[in-house]
Amino acid sequence: MKKIFILSFILFLSAGFLQAQDLTLKVNSDKVKMKIGQTVQLEAAVVDASGKTVTDREFIFYSRNSRALSVVDSTGFAKAIKHGDYDVIVISPGDPQLRSNISVSIKPAAISKVAFGEIPNKMYAGVNVPLTIDVMDEAGFERPEVPITLTTSDESKVAIAPFNKLIVKEAGKVTVTASAGGVSQNLDLEILENPIAQIQLTSDMVEGRSGDVFTLTAIAVDKDGNVIKDAPINYSFTGESFDVSAAPSGLITPEGKFVADEPGLYILNATCGPAAASVTVQANNRNITRKINLIGQGSVNNKHTSDLWIWEGVDGKDYAVTGTWGADGTAYFWDVTDPAGIQLVDSVKVDARTVNDVKVSEDGKVAVISREGASNRKNGLVIIDVSNPRDAKIISEFSENLTGGVHNVFIYKNHVYALSAGRKYYSINIEDPKNPKIVGEFELDTPGHAIHDVWVHDGIAYSSNWTDGVQLVDVGNGIAGGTPSNPVQFASYAYPSGSNHAAFPYKDEKTGKFYVILGDEEFPYGLDPSGRKPSRAAGFLHVIDFTDLKNPKEVAWFQVPFAGSHNFWIEDDILYAAFYNGGVRVVDLSGELLGDLNRQGREIAWIVPEDPDGYVPNAPFTWGAQPHKGHIFYSDWNSGLWSAKLEPVVPTNAKIDQAK
Amino acid sequence: MTYNIFRKIGSGISLVVLMTFSFMANAQDYFVYVTAESEDEVALIKFDGKNATIEQTIPVGIWPAEIEGPHGINVSPDGKYWYLSLAHGNPYGTLYKYATATNEVVDTVRLGLFPASLQISKATGLLYCVNFDLHGDMVPSTVSVVDPEEMIEIDRIETGVMPHGSRISANGLYHYSVGMMSGELFEISTTKLKVNRKLNLDGKAEEEPAMGGMDHSKMDHSKMGHSMMTESAPMYHSATKPTWAMPHPTNGKVYVAGNGTNDIVEVDLEKWEVTNRFPAGKAPYNLDVSPDGKYLVATYKGSGETGIWDLKKGKELPRIKNTRMVTHGVTISPDSKYAFVSVEGIGGEPGTVDIIDIKNAKKITSIDMGKQAGGIIFWKME
Repeated sequence: MKKIFILSFILFLSAGFLQAQDLTLKVNSDKVKMKIGQTVQLEAAVVDASGKTVTDREFIFYSRNSRALSVVDSTGFAKAIKHGDYDVIVISPGDPQLRSNISVSIKPAAISKVAFGEIPNKMYAGVNVPLTIDVMDEAGFERPEVPITLTTSDESKVAIAPFNKLIVKEAGKVTVTASAGGVSQNLDLEILENPIAQIQLTSDMVEGRSGDVFTLTAIAVDKDGNVIKDAPINYSFTGESFDVSAAPSGLITPEGKFVADEPGLYILNATCGPAAASVTVQANNRNITRKINLIGQGSVNNKHTSDLWIWEGVDGKDYAVTGTWGADGTAYFWDVTDPAGIQLVDSVKVDARTVNDVKVSEDGKVAVISREGASNRKNGLVIIDVSNPRDAKIISEFSENLTGGVHNVFIYKNHVYALSAGRKYYSINIEDPKNPKIVGEFELDTPGHAIHDVWVHDGIAYSSNWTDGVQLVDVGNGIAGGTPSNPVQFASYAYPSGSNHAAFPYKDEKTGKFYVILGDEEFPYGLDPSGRKPSRAAGFLHVIDFTDLKNPKEVAWFQVPFAGSHNFWIEDDILYAAFYNGGVRVVDLSGELLGDLNRQGREIAWIVPEDPDGYVPNAPFTWGAQPHKGHIFYSDWNSGLWSAKLEPVVPTNAKIDQAK
Repeated sequence: MTYNIFRKIGSGISLVVLMTFSFMANAQDYFVYVTAESEDEVALIKFDGKNATIEQTIPVGIWPAEIEGPHGINVSPDGKYWYLSLAHGNPYGTLYKYATATNEVVDTVRLGLFPASLQISKATGLLYCVNFDLHGDMVPSTVSVVDPEEMIEIDRIETGVMPHGSRISANGLYHYSVGMMSGELFEISTTKLKVNRKLNLDGKAEEEPAMGGMDHSKMDHSKMGHSMMTESAPMYHSATKPTWAMPHPTNGKVYVAGNGTNDIVEVDLEKWEVTNRFPAGKAPYNLDVSPDGKYLVATYKGSGETGIWDLKKGKELPRIKNTRMVTHGVTISPDSKYAFVSVEGIGGEPGTVDIIDIKNAKKITSIDMGKQAGGIIFWKME
């Protein structure tokens, strides 16, 4: 009897198991075809081996692209939003849990519109004209994949070239037609006789150096010598490099600015239809490289080092403060009066794991350090009396609205500008450093906004906001009526990579140009899985011309191959940039900036802090650099604080003097 | 005679079987994954019944010079994958999927602000992760629903202010989490992807809303016991400050860590009301219930202790002092023998995992790991 019972029990279990295994999730087997705007009830059912529907099963539907095909969770009610092929995943929870896919194809809407973009007011014979053409459908979507066919009413006057370009040959009336998806649009053109008989081309320099900007002036005149102001001038160049092993290279802009990367002879051309002119210029070797010597080191090899700040103390000596990263919340104070004998003179330890940023007030009396990783998750910042850096004393801790971690801070005129949780920054009055008080804040309202850094100069706060780029905010300059308690944003610039991590303003007194240099932070190579190998960064410095605040323009860049930018400083037309695994790069910023600054030979010197006794040995990862009284100080993630010095510029007639 | 021979053989076999089982019992190894929030690492720790060792340390994230904050961690029901929430981003956090066989990244998906505790429902196969939004404005946040097979976020379900401490019922049908600052317990239907019901743990009527504009600095997330009024904006702040919700596998109760009221709150699921509040240690933070349903283990963040509760008697066993301060997470082995407790430490101290014999309420061993040991989850026994 007992055996029968056990056998029956086993059979029951088997049946149950088989039954569970035989359940199938049935969904729409054929591809579901929909039109935009249409709604469809997607079908799903769980059936047993006999094909009978199991009634107590629930379903979860979701679209792999909910912006194009919306599907309501448990009901399977789908709405087509955008054309394309999509998958809907169907899950039936329970035991067994069942999954299946439904394929949905949403038919594109009919093409509704073909539109030409802006074209020149006057179109002269002999000038090629590129067209921009947008194709839209009835659902309001752009349809760049739809082929466009261009035709012309008179091939002898206007011919069609690949990539939607017009070859304008003769004067007269012509209609160009763009057709896509059964819709056509005409563009009526009146081609004018090209009046330009001559181009008078001059350059502001005949001879310069690589990296110098040659500004061309092209004046188009007719046969009577009248100036044609709206003549569409095209600029180009050819060249010959002085170095037979290097190709001539450079950049010429549509406005007629030319810069040579490679020293050589360059022919700069201006054309307009049949008229052409050229000038020859010579770009000599920039010849600004200087030797850089390592002077000293204050080693930190038991933890990572973060940012640095160098200042002249109230006693006239020179000091540095450095932070630490992923460690025990220590900030170190150094006497750097003798850069060859950097001395650790004090340290302050706070409840944190990372002191990411350190700053000192203009009068050298107060330091502010940021906290991240506090044990009570109240991060904030710490204000320290550094009147005597050999006896640095905590004045106060401040975490109001800053619990999420302060990644970066800046001190400017008795106010601390402190980031909060990577979302915004607060301005905090520290006239009474024992009782800091929030007086203002700045936060963007863009979706998913974030912030990494803020730097204040001349009453303007430059915040680096990743995808939102740099934001120029008046916090006392007066340009936009802002104050620390009422920050007013007045200009901004963002670039596509979205990697804006740091910013530094720079005004070139000679040219009158106002630049803001924006630094990326990128780590596309990720982490070494073993955690023991040196890291490598990417990203570079973007030079933005903010001379016209309403129309900032990216004009130049500085890149170091296989390394990435971090913090940087500009003083006396020289950029001092930490490039993580690329060490410190010293760059000549003099004159107008255009194009690839590194290829132009603007790099004056570089030095890489390699330390066999480093936290990670021989793994340079330079965090920041700051010039101070003729020396360059720089902090390195794996080896602490360093100092270096550029050798003096050798006068160009030094050899002649020596020969004498 | 024949009978005797068979009897002796049988006895011998029994002895061998007994010895084998005995050997197997003694040779049992336990594996847990633990996050080091201030080190951007995950440690895989093995415990052999006496000693613990770090089998592997896995660097996580992609930014060597930024702390990305691994926070929540869990293992798929089949044990093939582990999932990790990285709290910090620009600004959103990320869910990572790793293979347990290699401890290498399989896929990622971006979630909300400060994603934290997470778990896969065995009923739906979907992963539910709270978006803690620890340092954001005092507004309701969400629970992200992710298909871990595709690593697509398929839905966000709004719950309370600072949702945290989530766990799913044994049958996989209900997800429980708490709104730390709104003082609410939320029950989400994992199949309908909707909040079924919510319960204010402070005893307030549900329509009393939490208010915006709160200053987090007035909260002490480790001790959680003082005023939450800002200088500028007085506002509602939960006295209970619940930080974890743990459904019992069988008894129809959910236990909540009353971080602000220093108690364990018992909620009856049928009545949907608080049926008991057990005075506990200082600032209970995370909870786990042994699979046999007998014990509840609570971490006391404020005092650096671990509490073990005999649920049948409703009494706490002698408290266990942890190796260092800021006790954080707990996970219990499937055999209900051991509690693995993560301890954050302070500043430059290492994180630690204490391994506790639950029945005897005794710490067996501990092992140091990366800084700020936090999220912890049991992987396997073998």
